[in-house]
Amino acid sequence: MTAQGLSLNLTGINHRTAPLDVRESMWFSAEELSGALRRIMETRAAECLLISTCNRTELYYVPRSPVVGDQGPIRDVLSSLKNHPSPPPEEHFYNLAGLQPVKHLFKVVSGLDSMVLGDVQITAQVKDAYAAALDCGATGTLTNRLFTAAMHVGKRVRTETQINEGAISVSYLAAELATKIFADLSKRTALLIGIGETGKLAARHLASRNLGNMVIANRTLSVAEKIAPLFGARTVPFEAMGAEIANADIIITAVQSSSPILTREHVAAAMKQRGSRPLILIDLGVPRNIDPAIGGMDSVFLHDIDSLNRIIDNNLSRRRGEVPKAQKIVLEELNEFSRWTRSMELGPTFQDLRERFEAIRELELGRVRHRFAEKDREELDIVTKRIVNKLLHMPMANLRNGHGEREFEDTRRKISFIRHIFGLDRDDPS
Amino acid sequence: MHFVIRTFEIVLPVLYFATVWVYGKAFFSADVPSTRARDKVLSATIITHLVYVVLRTVFLEHFPITSFYEILSLIALTVSLVYSAIELRTGNRETGYFILMLPLFFQVISTVFIKDYLEVPPELRGMLLGFHVSSALFGYAAITISAVYGLLYLMLYHDLKSTQFGVIYKRLPNLETLEKMSITATLIGTVLLTVAITLGLVWLPLAIESFSYADPKLFGTISVWVVYVFGLVARQAAGWKGRKMMLVTIAGFVIAVVSIAVTAILPFGFHKFGT
Repeated sequence: MTAQGLSLNLTGINHRTAPLDVRESMWFSAEELSGALRRIMETRAAECLLISTCNRTELYYVPRSPVVGDQGPIRDVLSSLKNHPSPPPEEHFYNLAGLQPVKHLFKVVSGLDSMVLGDVQITAQVKDAYAAALDCGATGTLTNRLFTAAMHVGKRVRTETQINEGAISVSYLAAELATKIFADLSKRTALLIGIGETGKLAARHLASRNLGNMVIANRTLSVAEKIAPLFGARTVPFEAMGAEIANADIIITAVQSSSPILTREHVAAAMKQRGSRPLILIDLGVPRNIDPAIGGMDSVFLHDIDSLNRIIDNNLSRRRGEVPKAQKIVLEELNEFSRWTRSMELGPTFQDLRERFEAIRELELGRVRHRFAEKDREELDIVTKRIVNKLLHMPMANLRNGHGEREFEDTRRKISFIRHIFGLDRDDPS
Repeated sequence: MHFVIRTFEIVLPVLYFATVWVYGKAFFSADVPSTRARDKVLSATIITHLVYVVLRTVFLEHFPITSFYEILSLIALTVSLVYSAIELRTGNRETGYFILMLPLFFQVISTVFIKDYLEVPPELRGMLLGFHVSSALFGYAAITISAVYGLLYLMLYHDLKSTQFGVIYKRLPNLETLEKMSITATLIGTVLLTVAITLGLVWLPLAIESFSYADPKLFGTISVWVVYVFGLVARQAAGWKGRKMMLVTIAGFVIAVVSIAVTAILPFGFHKFGT
């Protein structure tokens, strides 16, 4: 932090400004991150933080000397670090300065700027980016405070709003439904019939929730055998799936078939063996793979692609309803950050101003002190100090008041003006 | 002293209302201050209720089991105590709103109709009667909680069957956990009712002249006990689980409520002690 104040800048691209191929070309792996940070610190920045995910690459930095206007050079540095012969077009990049990068990062960690509203996986990625910057010695007063504040914002938004609640992908919802029925998935078995992309994703979500066993039945067994190790699953021939139904607690079907592959008879026979143990059926097939009449059976929970999409739509609209609450938190915390930066900026100026006034007071008092009697000198000292304090009180109080982005810029201008008119950057008090 | 007791009787419904309100706010709108405060508010309510029971016992010189409305207040306390124990054991606080509505309801009725009996029959001061009544009350509290969990299970079951996922889906624990909570409460309730019935059958004929095996409350309690024992046996022997078992817990509770109401209305039976 310089006496001139907060000079945080941001240069980046994200899913709103750049297509996937451009984002891919600017993506920094964990291995590339530390080298990039070191290079930027050597050439351009006093502090920096590089966040790179599949949806965004953003460099938050404090320039070695304040930069005004075009941030092109940093964009070139980022491109050169990826060994691009020419940087991606300028229109894909955004450049923010002052409090804007702070507000942007707060929105990012709140899930307000995510591709999927409320997706807060970014929080972990920001933590990793900060850890990398810390390792390289790229952080400083400003970036440390920025990171702490951003994590606080993320936590507040997660706990005080429901912006990240409710599944918004079919695969995730399938896994979530299982956890709403079973307390402990480690004792449960899932049967995956057919291997579609969504089915695989659902299997991944279930596996990540510590699912006990997974069985895969596919028409082409070799394909099933190829992906089974990814989930610690075993495979069975497609024709043998009937024998697995009674043992399975979760069945996900995704096969191309003109008629249902799971009929009421199949499930009724399985339920006889299962007693009242619940069974979840997720039908991802179009046309449907599971006879809809099964949904009416006791302890059987059947969901097809339409019902899952309906739930997702509801969840998304609920998340949208939480946006104003999240934005309010972002603004509250931005004001708090602004107060901190202003105190950091005003501190040196207040100190300099006080010293300058004190020096003038001492100088002028020195010239006339001998004309006063010894007993009056102490009183003279007190009275002049009081005058100085009163003269300084109002401008200081006015500078401290106010918050928000506009006030932030105003404060910077005022500080610069005060330093200029009182000559605070000169040595001579006269 | 009478003024103090009366003040407690007015404060208690207010406290129960505050508890239900805080639990409801935490459940339906995930309000952070309510979420943090709810267990503390419940503790304050339970402590106040305990103080009230002690004061009443000291002032009236008998345990407050001599009238229907005294017993209603005790059921409110025991339901809150048993729920609090379950909350501490499971760490799940999301079901409190639904459970604690019952103590609020019981306490409001008790506060409105309760009377102070200074003179009570001597058999109501006996130690064994205290055990009999305590085990019966805690037993009823446990089956009440079991039925509420059963009801919540059915609500979540319905949500999961349909695609209308609302606050019940979001906030309640999973079906298996709700079933486990309900069955645990049923087991505790059945054991306590067994103790209450055994003590009653052994001791009451000796202590109460008017004892009769045709007493409506005795008949009602045994009917409730039979339903729960039947359910537990069916669960073990025939694998009754999930929805079927939850319906049994609710059926048992309905019989218990009907039996208590009928006993209160009928003019005969030795379970009438108010003078």
